[in-house]
Amino acid sequence: MTSGTAKAKNLPNPYRLVENQFAVGVKLLGQVLILWFQTVSYMVRGQINLKETVRQAYMIGVLSFVVVGITALFTGFAMSLQISRELVQFGADTAIGGVVSLALVREIGPITAGVIVAGRVGSSVAAELTTMMITEQIDALKVMRVDPVKFLVVPRYTAALVMIPTLSVYAMFIGLVAGIVIAQGAANVPPDTFMDSVKQTILDRDFSVHFLKSIINATLIIMFSCAIGLNTRGGAEDVGIATTRTIVWTMISIFILNFVVTSVTYAPR
Amino acid sequence: MAPRSQEPILELVNIHKAFGERQILRGVSFQVYAGEMLGLIGPSGCGKSTILKIICGLLEPDQGEVIKRSDEIGLVFQGSALLNSLSVRDNLAIALERRKLSRKEEDKIISEKLSMVGLAGFEDYSPTKLSGGQQKRTSFARAIVNDPKIILYDEPTTGLDPVMSTIIEDYMIELEHQLQAASIVVTHQFSTWTRTADRVLLMHAGKIVWEGSPEEGVSSEDPYMKQFAHATREGPMLAGAVED
Repeated sequence: MTSGTAKAKNLPNPYRLVENQFAVGVKLLGQVLILWFQTVSYMVRGQINLKETVRQAYMIGVLSFVVVGITALFTGFAMSLQISRELVQFGADTAIGGVVSLALVREIGPITAGVIVAGRVGSSVAAELTTMMITEQIDALKVMRVDPVKFLVVPRYTAALVMIPTLSVYAMFIGLVAGIVIAQGAANVPPDTFMDSVKQTILDRDFSVHFLKSIINATLIIMFSCAIGLNTRGGAEDVGIATTRTIVWTMISIFILNFVVTSVTYAPR
Repeated sequence: MAPRSQEPILELVNIHKAFGERQILRGVSFQVYAGEMLGLIGPSGCGKSTILKIICGLLEPDQGEVIKRSDEIGLVFQGSALLNSLSVRDNLAIALERRKLSRKEEDKIISEKLSMVGLAGFEDYSPTKLSGGQQKRTSFARAIVNDPKIILYDEPTTGLDPVMSTIIEDYMIELEHQLQAASIVVTHQFSTWTRTADRVLLMHAGKIVWEGSPEEGVSSEDPYMKQFAHATREGPMLAGAVED
């Protein structure tokens, strides 16, 4: 009885827990917003280190090409198989290209690239900046009167704004190739018929929304990873915690904002 | 001891600092003069490094004032804090960025500073390829690249073997003579404070409890200083220890 009471006392109060998590979330969102404004203000003034931006573009973009390609290929295979199977049953096999491309351009392309880059790049940026905080490299920059935002965040964000939309388009293209292969193999739809259906279905607006979503994803990935990295102190354990926090916050925000953009741009009127 | 100029380059007046409930500094005041190396010594956690961070603006004091007669400050970090993604040259070049120099002028200054710490020709090396002592010397070169009037050393010899510690101490003495800056070395290494410092302040529980020359410190009968000098030279005293 006594030990049970003691255990109950040690349990965290659920209301307090929710309150704390809410406060932590609001604080992080504030840090992300401030960081975004600071970063954009440097970019608007043209204060971008090109050499470092090119290096970051390589790290963020070029090194992600294989993993994004493989993911998009197999997502395209699986999705096309499901769509082909259903459409063939209804005799609408000529519409396979249109349906597959709609899904790819509007949702799968930006989401696949966003999630893969969030996992690969977001975690790495958060770990790198947290380690720099812990080993006093960020303090060293401040002592030399170098703003860590200008030196570390601006090149990463600029590189991400170029490379993540590029990866999204690439993921879309690979997904379409997968769709063509499956449509021909599983439903005997020739590539020409597939592409005709794509052209009839996809609108210019779909590409604009695709681009908008990938810009939002780039912003979320870099801003969450940098804000968490630059505001973490402690030891080796905190590097792992910062990495996990970055992945969780970035993934959740990518899916939420993806839905918001979809609902604003494609909601029935 | 180096001759004192008319007025101190750096002056701390009644500095207080707390982190949450924990009071780290409780009214610290001292002055440092040009050409002087001040040793700030004391056990771990007594607030030595916090003072350095307050001096270079990384932390704000809760109370008190830091009067600096020069804004050009060089800080040598305990772990060197070099940026591993950059070469040795670029680590020094970051500090020069705000002076808007040409590449040629930058290279001249960097080469000169690296020569001063015995690293001429190491410009293109990655910090990860350097030994601990070389990283520390690169950190020295970065700290002095803008000819600071105030140089701060945070535990410069901690983690180094005795031979490398002696080499680093020699560089500190050499730099003090060449630059005539006001320097503060935070340390609890016996050889570092006895060899490099002109004057020593002993801190305990956020306050300065003793001041004097290293020679006076070694032979002092003050209970705090006696215990610290003994502990840093021969290990902790087992009898007659000062109560906290």
